[in-house]
Amino acid sequence: MATDHIRNFSIIAHIDHGKSTLADRMLELTGTVSSRQKRDQMLDSMDLERERGITIKASAVTMRYEHEGREYMLNLIDTPGHVDFHYEVSRALAACEGAILVVDATQGVQAQTVANAYLAVHNNVEILGAINKIDLPAAQPDVVGDEIEHVLGIRKNECFRISGKSGIGVPELLEAVVTLLPPPKDRSDEPAAALIFDSLYDEYRGVICYVRVFAGCLKPKQKIRLMGAGRSYVVGELGKFTPQMTPVDQLGSGEVGYVVAAIRDLHDVHVGDTITDDIHPAPKPLPGYVAPMQMVFSDFYPGNMTDYPKLRAAFERLSLNDASFTFIPQNSPALGFGFRCGFLGLLHMEIIQERLERENDVDVVQTAPTVSYEYKTTDGGVKRIDSPSELPDRSAIEEIREPMVKLEIITGVDSIGGIMRLAEGRRCKLVKTDYLSPTRVMLEYTAPLAEIVYDFYDQLKGISHGYATMDYEFLGFEAADLVKIDILVNKNIVDALSLIVHRSNAEHRGRKLLIKLRKAIPRHQFEIPLQVAIGGKIIARESIKPFRKDVLAKLYGGDVTRKMKVLKRQKEGKKRLKSIGMVQIPQEAFMSILDTGED
Amino acid sequence: MTAPSLYVHIPLCVRKCPYCGFYSEPVAQHNPARLVGALAQEVRQTVRDPQVPTVYVGGGSPTCMPMDLLGRLLYEITRTVRGFEEFTVEANPGQVDRPILQFLRNIGVNRLSLGGQSFQPQELKTLGRLHTVEQIVEAVEMAREVGFENIGVDLIFAIPGSTMESWRANLKRAIDLGVTHISTYALTYEEDTPLTADRDAGRITPIDEETDREMYELAIDMLTDAGYEHYEISNFARPGFACRHNLGYWANRPYNGVGPSAASHIQRRRCTRIADIRQYIHAVENELDPIAEIQETSALEFACETAVLNLRRIRGIDWAEYRATTGYDAMDLFAAVIEEHRKNGMLTVDDSGIRLTRPALPIADSILCDFSDIDD
Ligand SMILES: Nc1nc2c(ncn2[C@@H]2O[C@H](COP(=O)(O)OP(=O)(O)OP(=O)(O)O)[C@@H](O)[C@H]2O)c(=O)[nH]1
Ligand code: SF4
Ligand SMILES: [Mg+2]
Repeated sequence: MATDHIRNFSIIAHIDHGKSTLADRMLELTGTVSSRQKRDQMLDSMDLERERGITIKASAVTMRYEHEGREYMLNLIDTPGHVDFHYEVSRALAACEGAILVVDATQGVQAQTVANAYLAVHNNVEILGAINKIDLPAAQPDVVGDEIEHVLGIRKNECFRISGKSGIGVPELLEAVVTLLPPPKDRSDEPAAALIFDSLYDEYRGVICYVRVFAGCLKPKQKIRLMGAGRSYVVGELGKFTPQMTPVDQLGSGEVGYVVAAIRDLHDVHVGDTITDDIHPAPKPLPGYVAPMQMVFSDFYPGNMTDYPKLRAAFERLSLNDASFTFIPQNSPALGFGFRCGFLGLLHMEIIQERLERENDVDVVQTAPTVSYEYKTTDGGVKRIDSPSELPDRSAIEEIREPMVKLEIITGVDSIGGIMRLAEGRRCKLVKTDYLSPTRVMLEYTAPLAEIVYDFYDQLKGISHGYATMDYEFLGFEAADLVKIDILVNKNIVDALSLIVHRSNAEHRGRKLLIKLRKAIPRHQFEIPLQVAIGGKIIARESIKPFRKDVLAKLYGGDVTRKMKVLKRQKEGKKRLKSIGMVQIPQEAFMSILDTGED
Repeated sequence: MTAPSLYVHIPLCVRKCPYCGFYSEPVAQHNPARLVGALAQEVRQTVRDPQVPTVYVGGGSPTCMPMDLLGRLLYEITRTVRGFEEFTVEANPGQVDRPILQFLRNIGVNRLSLGGQSFQPQELKTLGRLHTVEQIVEAVEMAREVGFENIGVDLIFAIPGSTMESWRANLKRAIDLGVTHISTYALTYEEDTPLTADRDAGRITPIDEETDREMYELAIDMLTDAGYEHYEISNFARPGFACRHNLGYWANRPYNGVGPSAASHIQRRRCTRIADIRQYIHAVENELDPIAEIQETSALEFACETAVLNLRRIRGIDWAEYRATTGYDAMDLFAAVIEEHRKNGMLTVDDSGIRLTRPALPIADSILCDFSDIDD
């Protein structure tokens, strides 16, 4: 198809502002899905997406659309809104010339609205503003229009007023996609160059690459080359998402679709790589992406040592479908052999965890998530660690650096005071304050990632009665007065319980942690001393008293079945504990590190 | 192979004690004559091999029934079984007089188990017992006079309001009575009992764990000093007077249980009877099966049960006996747990077998539970 009859666009927005629902209406209006196939949030096809009601992975779909008697091909990419999945949005935008920025008319501009709008600007993408959910009684399209104009510079009177739910305004918006968004450049005469903007692993077909063709064209049986990886393959099948995968006999310049080329390992394909013709290659690859950065790390150990190979197989399977999650073998003196896993954020971690549990039958003990740190050695070298236990002795270190982020919070003015106090307590530095409207404000901070990545969001929601939203972006590592806290259980350091905190807060956190551990670790046959040490010096101690009496008074013939059940349950309870030295530590104990000590 | 022993359950009491978790109902609400008829019939149907090693008639309170009915039941039993070496009847102080005891003795009962529970009037009241301290003493004396040599008394400790002193006094009274067998049970808060409801509502304060343990240790010390052999976690007997019937349970030997809620265990099959007096009578009278639940245990489950039950005994698991009972080698099945608990000083291991150490007794379940299941 001629490129001027193609439009490629993403739908971007803050979480839950209605991207996937708008996509549903567009699929319907263009007759892409029949009413028989129809269901809500069509494009959220993963089980987890449907259960949680959120989009996790971007998905593309090709629609046919008539305008002034001519047929157009519209390629829509629905994107996730959650902060953990920003890189999905960046990738989608790199495949498009346009974007629809959806803003919920009852919520207004939110943190991810701003973040995603910036991404669109950064990617040189034309933006159409859409104020959504105008069917709701609480909708304030005028106020929201002002905010959009003020914060994002999109003219209020150019914003579409729509309801993805009822369909009001969607036909006009679709018309505008054709009339207002630019078509891709026609580069059909050049050598083939297609950007891989996503990939997926299919058990039967191997890796499926989602591509946007920028130049030339791709055909079945063509010999192609992945420019970055420097490997060649033969195209087995090409196609479009309608939304099912539908084979076509070519993907031309400007088009979006998929390529299957008998690639068995997802890790052979780097998202952002360029596909070109093997015989007539493009002179240079397309600009790619920066690989997503893992923000939090957590160790996973099999509950039972013999399950280690099972756990490895499970992670391998998971990473086939998600290249943004990393895992490397890990050996902890306290917990044995396991894996250190890296995630884009806590939601990402939760999702992997859930899939691990759901799709595999392994008991795991997981350590509390941590951020990475850097330290400078006395001889000038800089090292990155993603577990506090790896930090060497203080004497070998000149400074410790922690990851810093740009944190943006959007909130109603009435909760500014509370939020500022929260941020202050978390060592955040206010950079600027910007009023979106007389009642809403955007605060920008420079913040230590470790202070905001775990429970900060929940606290923020609490303080603002659910109204504040936040977004963050990695800036770099910065030196700070940090110390490592070690926890000794029964006189042994439990490396998985070590944590790095700011010196000003260390003692308080340490004591607090001991109290939590005292409650989380069950009583044993013997007394268990618990200690907190900073730099080898014990600063606080507690102890868990042994249990003194634990025996059924009677066990006779008639009771056997019932009493055996009681004993088995008692044994099951023990199994869910991780044995360290002679002490059995339950999963919650490892997570108690996350308690920051505010109450 | 010895024949299964026989247990007969009388699920009737004058009044339900607030702590009791057994299946029993007030006698006034039922027709004990019909129950005895059904029990007798089930005994006849169940006992295939009359060479029953031990018989135990328990409850409930067998002695809350009119004497003629209890007599009829015992007569039926003795007509059906032969050659038993031990025949126990549970008796409640206050419900027995000399003629009843005389009758029991004459018909062949050779062991009496008395639910004494405490020698403190206040504690008997807390427990909701209907008898007095004097009646316990009288029952023991009368039993001895009519010829019972083997008399057991049950005691309960850690009763709310009790103290180390009151418990010491109770143990002393029991020892001074010169009975051959003493069982000491920590008061247990069973589910769905008035006692547990009182505790949960804060109306009574349970004895703390440390005192509970000290009371248990005091019992072991005083009773063994007085010449009783500690032979099971809660049981003490003069040499030669350990309860053979119960030893059968802890050896995991087969038994038949007759009566509402009673369980049989024959060849790895446990059959529990209907825990409802009327339904039970109806079933037996109409020659229907009074069984409510049948459970087949696998050879491995049986081996686990055997280990747990054996370890309740102070002599613990005997390698040879265990192999003969289960077909397994206990050391093979439980090597890792045995080693762990041996290292922690909770188990003694030697050529003859394994047993709990003294420090392990008060916390036995934390060790026994590891034998309740085999890890795969
Ligand atoms: N009343 C009303 N509700 C809407 C409208 N659009 C979406 N919703 C509802 O808003 C919720 C979120 O909609 P989604 O389409 O899943 O939002 P999303 O932006 O795709 O969310 P994420 O992918 O998780 O970022 C759902 O409950 C929708 O039914 C609308 O126009 N009107
Ligand atoms: S007499 Fe015994 S069986 Fe009857 S209610 Fe009291 S404790 Fe329970
Ligand atoms: Mg969505």
